[in-house]
Amino acid sequence: MKVQAPTLRLAAVLAVLLAAHFWLRPAVFPGRFAPDFVLVALLFFAIRSRPGAGAVAGFLVGLLTDAVGPTTFGAAAFSLTIVGYAAGWLKAVVFPDNLLVTAVFVFAASWVRDLLELAASNALRSGAVGTQLLVLSPATALSTAAAAVVTLLLFRGWLRSAPAL
Amino acid sequence: MPIGAERYGSRADTLAFVACLVLSLVALALPESLRMPIAAALRRTALLPAVAIESQASASREQRQNTILLRAERDSLALAASQVPELEAENTQLRALLKLRARLGTGFVTAEVLHQTGLTDGLTMLLGAGRRQGIAPLSPVIAPSGLVGMVVAVDPHTSVVMAWTHPDFRASAMVEGGKIFGVVAARRGETAGEVMELRGVPYRDSLPAGTPVVTSGLGGVFPRGIPVGTVLGMLSESAGWERTYLLRPAAHPAQVTHVLVLSARLAGDSLEPAFDTLPAAPDTGEVEP
Repeated sequence: MKVQAPTLRLAAVLAVLLAAHFWLRPAVFPGRFAPDFVLVALLFFAIRSRPGAGAVAGFLVGLLTDAVGPTTFGAAAFSLTIVGYAAGWLKAVVFPDNLLVTAVFVFAASWVRDLLELAASNALRSGAVGTQLLVLSPATALSTAAAAVVTLLLFRGWLRSAPAL
Repeated sequence: MPIGAERYGSRADTLAFVACLVLSLVALALPESLRMPIAAALRRTALLPAVAIESQASASREQRQNTILLRAERDSLALAASQVPELEAENTQLRALLKLRARLGTGFVTAEVLHQTGLTDGLTMLLGAGRRQGIAPLSPVIAPSGLVGMVVAVDPHTSVVMAWTHPDFRASAMVEGGKIFGVVAARRGETAGEVMELRGVPYRDSLPAGTPVVTSGLGGVFPRGIPVGTVLGMLSESAGWERTYLLRPAAHPAQVTHVLVLSARLAGDSLEPAFDTLPAAPDTGEVEP
C-alpha cells in the first residue's frame, strides 16, 4: 500500500511533537507546568482520524503514561481513551486549522483529561482536588494550548493537507 | 471544512472505544502484583528509548545551568584547595576519634529525578538509575535536606519512587532523641501535599513548634535519623488518647532534581551522624571539673 505524502507529513509533525516532549521539554521546560506535547500529538492525530482510531491512540498513550506512575495504573489510559474518542467526534464541529479553536480545544481537552484521571484514580474526594482543577490543571492546560498553537503556526501547511485517517 | 458526524461514527469506532475503555477499567482494577510487572515491562520496552532521551536532555540542561556556577566556584575553590589536604587529614582524624563513620560512606546511589507532566508527578517519581546501578525495591530515597520516599519498582536502568506525598506512604518517626514516637503521612487536603502529619503521638506528650522530627528506624525500611520535618503546630487530638501534629516537610519531592538512594546495607543502621541529628547527651546535673 502506497503511503500518501499528506499522511507522511502528519506523521512527521507527530514525530516532532514526541521529540519535543522527551527532548525539548526536559531541557527547556523543567517546571511543573510544562506543556504536554504528547497530548498535543494525540489531539492532532485524533481530530484528523476516526473516533475509533483516536480512542485506540489515547488508550496506548495513556497506558505508557501509566507505566511511569504505576500506582494509578489505568487512570491515564481511561482518561485519554475518552479524550481521544471525543476528539475524533469533535472534528465534525471543529475547524482544526483555526488557531483560536485549536487553543480552546487543547485547553479543554487537557483540563478534562485531568478531571477524568482524578476521577479514575478515586482522588475527587481529596481536599486538594480544588487546587488541582482550578489552579494547577488550568496552568498546565494553558502551556499545552500554547504549545499546540505554536505547532500549528509552524506546520500549518502540512497539517491543513493532512488526510482524514 | 467541517464534515457531518454521520460519516465518522461507525459501529467499529464504537466497538474500539468500548474495548479500550473496558481494558482501561481492567487495568485500574488490577492487583498490585500484576500491574507492577506490566508497568515494568512497558518501561523496559516501549518507554526505554523515550526515558533514555529524556534522561539525556535533563542531564544536558543540568550541565548548562551548572556551567556558569561552576566557573565561579572554580575560582573560589582554587584558593581553598591549597588548604584541603591539611583539613582533610584533620577531619579524618577527628572522625576516627569520635568513632563516627564518614558521612554515608559509599552505601548510596545518586539518581536523577525525571519529572513527568502527569498528575502523579510528585506522588511517584521516575529515577534515572535502576538495578544496574545497585538500586533495590524498598530502598529509602533521601535528598540532602531529608526524607523523599522509598523505591517501589526497579528496572535495569530506571526505578519508581513512592514519595512521602503519596496517600499510601507511612513512616515511623520520632522526635530527635527518641523520646516521642509517631507515624508520618501526607496531609490530605493540603495543596499538593506540601505538609505532613505526625499521627499517634501519645496524649501525655506535647511538641512545641519547631521541634525536629526524624525517622525512628522502626519498620526496617528507613534508617534511624533521616530528617522528616519540623513541627508547625497541633492539628487535632483525641481526648485522653493521642494527638496529631502538622509538620513542615524537610524535602519537597516535586522540587528535588537529584536524590540519594540508600543501599540495604544502611537500611538497618542509623543516619543520625550523617545528618547531625544525634541526640544530645542526657543532662545528669553533674558539672565537669
